[in-house]
Amino acid sequence: MRKTLLALVAAIGLLFATTPAANAYEPVNIVHTERVQVGPYGMTVGFSTWPLRAMQSLDFTFIPDDGIAGKSGTLAFVNPETGRLGRPQPLAKHPRKLEVWGLDIRALQTQGSWTFRFEIEGPAGKGTGELRDLAVLEQPGPPMAVSWSISLIPLIVLAVLIAVAWRRTKSRLRGNGLPATV
Amino acid sequence: MDLTAGGARAVSVARSERTGLVPAGTVLAGSVISLIGLTWDIQWHGDVGPDTFFTMPHLFLYSGSAISGLASLVVVLMTTAARRAGRPVDARVGGRAINVFGKVFAAPAGYLVTGTGAAMFLLYGLWDQWWHGLYGFDAVIDSPPHIGLLLSITLSIIGTVMVFAAAREHRWGTVGVVGSLGVLIAFSTVTVLGLQQIDVDGLDVVSVGIALLSVLLVSAGAGFWARPGGAVRVAAALAVIQAITWWFSPWAAEAYAGAVGLPMRDYIDGVPAMPSMMPMALLPIAAVLEAVYLLSRRGWSAGRVSVLAGAIGGLLVGASMPIQNAIVYGADRMPWAVVFATAAAGAVAGLLGGFAGWRFGGMLGLLAPAKGDNAHA
Repeated sequence: MRKTLLALVAAIGLLFATTPAANAYEPVNIVHTERVQVGPYGMTVGFSTWPLRAMQSLDFTFIPDDGIAGKSGTLAFVNPETGRLGRPQPLAKHPRKLEVWGLDIRALQTQGSWTFRFEIEGPAGKGTGELRDLAVLEQPGPPMAVSWSISLIPLIVLAVLIAVAWRRTKSRLRGNGLPATV
Repeated sequence: MDLTAGGARAVSVARSERTGLVPAGTVLAGSVISLIGLTWDIQWHGDVGPDTFFTMPHLFLYSGSAISGLASLVVVLMTTAARRAGRPVDARVGGRAINVFGKVFAAPAGYLVTGTGAAMFLLYGLWDQWWHGLYGFDAVIDSPPHIGLLLSITLSIIGTVMVFAAAREHRWGTVGVVGSLGVLIAFSTVTVLGLQQIDVDGLDVVSVGIALLSVLLVSAGAGFWARPGGAVRVAAALAVIQAITWWFSPWAAEAYAGAVGLPMRDYIDGVPAMPSMMPMALLPIAAVLEAVYLLSRRGWSAGRVSVLAGAIGGLLVGASMPIQNAIVYGADRMPWAVVFATAAAGAVAGLLGGFAGWRFGGMLGLLAPAKGDNAHA
């Protein structure tokens, strides 16, 4: 038993030791850019995938013309399906490209024409601006109804199991089974 | 325990205790490792970010299921071999054996469910890989493959509860049922995020799901325990899990980020993501349920009392969850309209949870051989 535990600890230790090499995260690759004027600030919005498709995650970068130093801001999305402006979130450094703002592993969930609404505060004051009519194409892959049906199979298995067990134990649990208190 | 039955009886119990505890402990360990992986993984995405298939939290998630699955497979093969050799099969090890594929395999009920869940987990793991190939590592917890994965682990944990229930004659059996029901509640707080797909204005659908499942599982604990204290024990198990993961998940995300040389995100709200989804008020609510159960002393049937207790529990969990979320995430104002609507829907869900949960508790009790039986099915 002790040997097994030691081997397990050693294996986990080895994994920890080798993960930095295994996790060499890929650089942020920008294949398309758009320009936005956010009040007094010119900004380049970069995309790692183009054209955009619904539900496909990508890297977004938001690069003010003279850098992010001394500036802060927020970003909110208008979802074409609901037409509502989402909650603004702070513009934060991209985890793999720390000199610019950005979003990693983000997907736009629905197809249609999206709007990104920026608010930036910096040395030249406060400004707002929008990137409009950002076309997001139909999602790739099977229709969501098919995907959800496949995913709910364990739930169906569980329901069948419960139904069988319920029926088989009915006579033995008649009278509501065991007493609540003794 | 009947000690007058002679040496054979004493030997049988001792042997089953030894042979039953090891695989039961192993499937529980698998469930706990999966839970650790999940809470770590969710925190990682919130606090640090990027995903690949080969992260440590994923390793925990996958190895947890593998451990539960392999342990189940070993038990099923040993049970099959025992039956073929004409040796008696002890029903305290995972419950009575069920024939699988005709009579090719004999699988104890609990291990059959755990093993099926683990096998499905692997299939959904492959599907999740394909999904990420198509959509990228979007880190969306409620994607179809993720919900399939979570439901598969849920099935495995239900099997774990059954395995311990079959050994209720031993102290570790009853303790294991309580512990694994706690693990199941903790786990299902993430699975119910799938309900986000259902959008109802003014109603917190996810919290209604949590009300249903937490009341159901706490009632199952009460129905299984069959004397005062079962509901509170299950809620206490969840509280322990919540306390440990509250500390563990932010720490693990930061430690792992340091180990792989990634920075923490600019804005971290400091809230442990998964532990904060678990109902914090469940322990006092379970105490309220226990108080309602006392009504059965006045001649009410236990099953009916559990329905009433479930409705009250569902109402309280439904009301407490939006309040909990507002406090934990520092909302500007309390969403009272949502609190009332969710409490009302929670009461209806709790009614169902109390009804089914109590019955499930009784069903779990039947997995064990009757006392006085020689335990050989």
